[in-house]
Amino acid sequence: MQSSLLVQHAAVLRPHYLVFCWLVFCLAAFAPWATSHLNAEDTALHITDTQATALFENHCYDCHSAEDAEAGLDMETLATGAFDTSSLAAWSQVVDRIRSGQMPPPDAETLPSPDRDSLVAWAQESIRTTVSGDGIQPGSPMVRRLNRNEYANTIRDLLGIQVNAGHALPSEGAGGEGFDNAAETLFVSPIHAEKYLDAARTALGHAMADPELRAEILIAQPSDAVTPEAAAKQVLQKFLPRAFRRPTSESEVESYVGLFQNLQPALNAFPDAVQATLEAALVSPKFLFIYEESCVGDEAELISQYELASRLSYFLWSSMPDSTLFELAKAGKLDDAGVLESQVRRMLSSSIRGGLRPGAKVRQFAESFSEQWLGTRALGRTFTPDPSIAPSYNSELEGGMKYEPVFFFEDLLAENKSLLNWLDADFTYVNRHLAKHYGLDGSFREQPKLVQLPDGSVRGGVLGMSAVLAVSSRPQRTSPVLRGKWILDTLLGAAPPPPPPDVGELSETDAAGNLVTLREQLEAHRSNSSCSSCHASMDPLGFGLENFDVLGRWRTDLNGLPVDARGELPDGTQFTGPNELKKILLSRKDEFIRHFTRKMLGYALSRGLTYEDECVAGEIADKLPEDDYKAQTLIIEIVSSIPFRYKMKQ
Amino acid sequence: MTTDTTVSAWRRGASDRQLSRRVLLRGFGAALGVPWLEAMLPTSNAFGAETAKQEPPVRLAVLWSPNGVHQDHWTPQGEGSDFELSPTLQHLAEFKDKLFIPTNLWNQASNIGDGHYVKCSGFLTCTTINKSLGIDLNCNGRSMDQVAADLHRQQTPLPSLELGIDPVTTGVDTNVGYTRVYGSHIAWSGPTNPLAKELNPALLFDRLFRCSNSDQKTHRNDKLLLDRVLEDARELNGKLGNSDRHRMDEYLQSLRAIEERLARAATQSQTWTPRAAFDRALRPDAEIPEMVTEHVQLMLDMIALAFQADTTRVATFMFGNAVSNRNFSFIDGVSSGHHEVSHHQKQEDKLKQYQLITEWHVQQYRYLLRKLDGMQEGDGSVLDNAMVLYGSGLRDGDSHNPHDLPIVLAGKAGGKLATGRHQTYSRDTPLSNLYVSMLQALGSPADNFADSTGPLAGVLA
Repeated sequence: MQSSLLVQHAAVLRPHYLVFCWLVFCLAAFAPWATSHLNAEDTALHITDTQATALFENHCYDCHSAEDAEAGLDMETLATGAFDTSSLAAWSQVVDRIRSGQMPPPDAETLPSPDRDSLVAWAQESIRTTVSGDGIQPGSPMVRRLNRNEYANTIRDLLGIQVNAGHALPSEGAGGEGFDNAAETLFVSPIHAEKYLDAARTALGHAMADPELRAEILIAQPSDAVTPEAAAKQVLQKFLPRAFRRPTSESEVESYVGLFQNLQPALNAFPDAVQATLEAALVSPKFLFIYEESCVGDEAELISQYELASRLSYFLWSSMPDSTLFELAKAGKLDDAGVLESQVRRMLSSSIRGGLRPGAKVRQFAESFSEQWLGTRALGRTFTPDPSIAPSYNSELEGGMKYEPVFFFEDLLAENKSLLNWLDADFTYVNRHLAKHYGLDGSFREQPKLVQLPDGSVRGGVLGMSAVLAVSSRPQRTSPVLRGKWILDTLLGAAPPPPPPDVGELSETDAAGNLVTLREQLEAHRSNSSCSSCHASMDPLGFGLENFDVLGRWRTDLNGLPVDARGELPDGTQFTGPNELKKILLSRKDEFIRHFTRKMLGYALSRGLTYEDECVAGEIADKLPEDDYKAQTLIIEIVSSIPFRYKMKQ
Repeated sequence: MTTDTTVSAWRRGASDRQLSRRVLLRGFGAALGVPWLEAMLPTSNAFGAETAKQEPPVRLAVLWSPNGVHQDHWTPQGEGSDFELSPTLQHLAEFKDKLFIPTNLWNQASNIGDGHYVKCSGFLTCTTINKSLGIDLNCNGRSMDQVAADLHRQQTPLPSLELGIDPVTTGVDTNVGYTRVYGSHIAWSGPTNPLAKELNPALLFDRLFRCSNSDQKTHRNDKLLLDRVLEDARELNGKLGNSDRHRMDEYLQSLRAIEERLARAATQSQTWTPRAAFDRALRPDAEIPEMVTEHVQLMLDMIALAFQADTTRVATFMFGNAVSNRNFSFIDGVSSGHHEVSHHQKQEDKLKQYQLITEWHVQQYRYLLRKLDGMQEGDGSVLDNAMVLYGSGLRDGDSHNPHDLPIVLAGKAGGKLATGRHQTYSRDTPLSNLYVSMLQALGSPADNFADSTGPLAGVLA
């Protein structure tokens, strides 16, 4: 089966790869594509090579041409020359400068926003075509430590304890596509070893205090017939391969038996000496790191069966592989296409009874991915609504709000529903408080429960989720600007550039502190094209959500006036309220799916995407409509892709 | 001093520990509400007599706040020792003789990039950070506190403390192209190593407490365990490609840090003894307080405690992460988030709130100064033997500029600082010059740091 997959991939896997490490290095740092894949229908952004060259000529050549070109960048030579691998580094710089609004500089003629977007899209598409045409190369072997969440889940599954063993570990930021599993931002500080040692002691203490769990660990005891070393060896032979998530060698086990022997004189009792030995295993980088063997040659290599088991389990469970995955890896069957597919479906499963989902490992994935993608992890952390406007806000409501997108995504994954449900759906998950908050009838408890929404409901899909509406607000009031920016950035992957330096944010209040309407703001800023060009795309989207207050409750008036939820997009499209906004987003479903696929691939690979990965994401996104955008199809495509299955020396 | 039985109960296992925790919580309940640090026993016993003869160590603390300050109310009037505190700094009036306030310092390296991230990570490094979502994250330098920590790395159990109250902000800011990791760290041990912060005062207390114990049996077992783990780390390092090796190297260093501490403790001649005793019963509550003021003050208590005992001589503390929009409506007269009002656009209402939030920060700073000044040491106080810097990486939150940064220094650094002064420098004097002088006060022979042009005149006495 391995060979057939290789054949299947042979067309796109380059036999000999020219290393563009430097390029990958620079490019992965850039923000997601401002605009998406272009095809015949995306006429709004599409420009021809000639049009692009004309724009460069009008806006860049004055400074960037000939021998005395500014910053040594001769744009004229670049734009009129061949677009190939030798010019990629220069082009990537150009994209960054234009996309971020740094170029053209403030004292030059303004590049209108639509032209900027078109130019960036043109250059990115050209880069992608050039890179893809050269074949797909996988990334380097995965080497990263477990993040806090993965650590806690792994300890839970390894020892069977139900406490959060990672609670005292330092918190982590995010890199790459915005996730805390990104290898590049999983730093190790001097404090870590000490914290891991503490955590291991506490966790093993819990496990050894529970008679059943203790018996699972202490599978052998010294007796007249069994020496302490022999008993310890049996314990370690079971424990170490699971802790290290791969088979262990005889010498590895012996080295830990050696530690047991050294510890025994001080820690008399057999269980105490074993426990201290296991503490070492849990502080070992073999446990704390996901590390894949280096590649032997310069060619792309399939990752090993056990490496695949871990990639799958940390992707879909945020935890270690279970016995089924280990057994399949041991039998060498895990990368069989059929087996891989059925394992993915099994790993994504979650049972539902009476609308309630009692719990499944896939929830860790649903939670980790959706909270970070949507930004709802901020709720109750960096974002709390002001008590003056939300007296009814309590932990149960917050829980209901936070878990709505999590259970919603778990449902899409487990039931293999269309990913377009994110944009509009006829169901959602609410607990008792959230149901009241939304004005939904039915009997609810503290657990989120599946609810069918009535026709025309403003809920259903991400735009009606109160957690999303809250984290894209100010603590005291809603912000059409922030919500509009949230939609562009989070759903379409088209983050607007930052405001020009020293301009500050667009004021949403007048001198007296009163909220001014969007129309008044845009009116005030129309004279300033550097503001209006972006705000004209952002603000109307957010304004369509003005019927939702800070906590996502429905409102019909605001400051004594009826809510005005009309919006007009730069292309003249007019709409009113969230349901018409959903339709507009559904008309841009290809952009959404492309962006969502990129995010998912970045999460799966736990690193920032390279231009080559972008090609893979594009190909996968293009396949999804054929199967009605089903969630499991996306996951199966990703785990079957070259970057997920292969590694290569960089 | 604590007994061996308490220590080994703590080290051994969960059941013992649960018991001791319950006892401790009971003890702490009684201590709650009292200024518990003052209830601690003063330095005593044989080694106390000996250490009293030595020069007290000089300590460094840096308190950083996000979002700048209300600039119209920051700068004092007058020059040199003849000056009047500004409305904001008026809160420090009781320490006027122990303050050094420089005006017109700037951080040129952070005058680029974006409004916040470069001004956070670059605050103590005085370098320009790479624009990055993660993969080529690099601050291109080392923070001043870590350079300071190097000066006394062998003398104290912990080289430095990195503290805060907010977890690292998650996600990447696609708007400006930076990972928010940059906005969550001011301490960098190397170009690619932001140092993780401790947020929980109880866990921090435990760390400080453990550093003061020298239970030989536990140390021996820990040493055996570490040897085994270090061997694993070396084995993996041998298998990894060059590009992947640095993270494993970081972990090796992290393990070695414990090993070295154990080794130091085991060597009698180098044995470190705390300058003040720790009382285990005064451990803060295990839960992080909900009220931010309480949380901040507990963390500052820990800095004071660590300085008094000489567990460390260097600490950094972040009042929040860059762009923090913490809701300060718990202050009378404030109804908005921090970042939001820092974009005041000269509106009176917002400026008023901005000022109240700035003053709150200065009051917390004063809280630490009072703690340190209340700790007797030799003829003076711990504050007299410390330098405590408060500052932000930008002046005015509305314009994000790193000119004339709001900086105030308190403490006399063992008499090395010329305090009780407000000094106006020529426009755009490097902030790094101040850092050079501070490092010299800590005993550094170096006369440059990052983009400095030399020591800052008038800082050292």
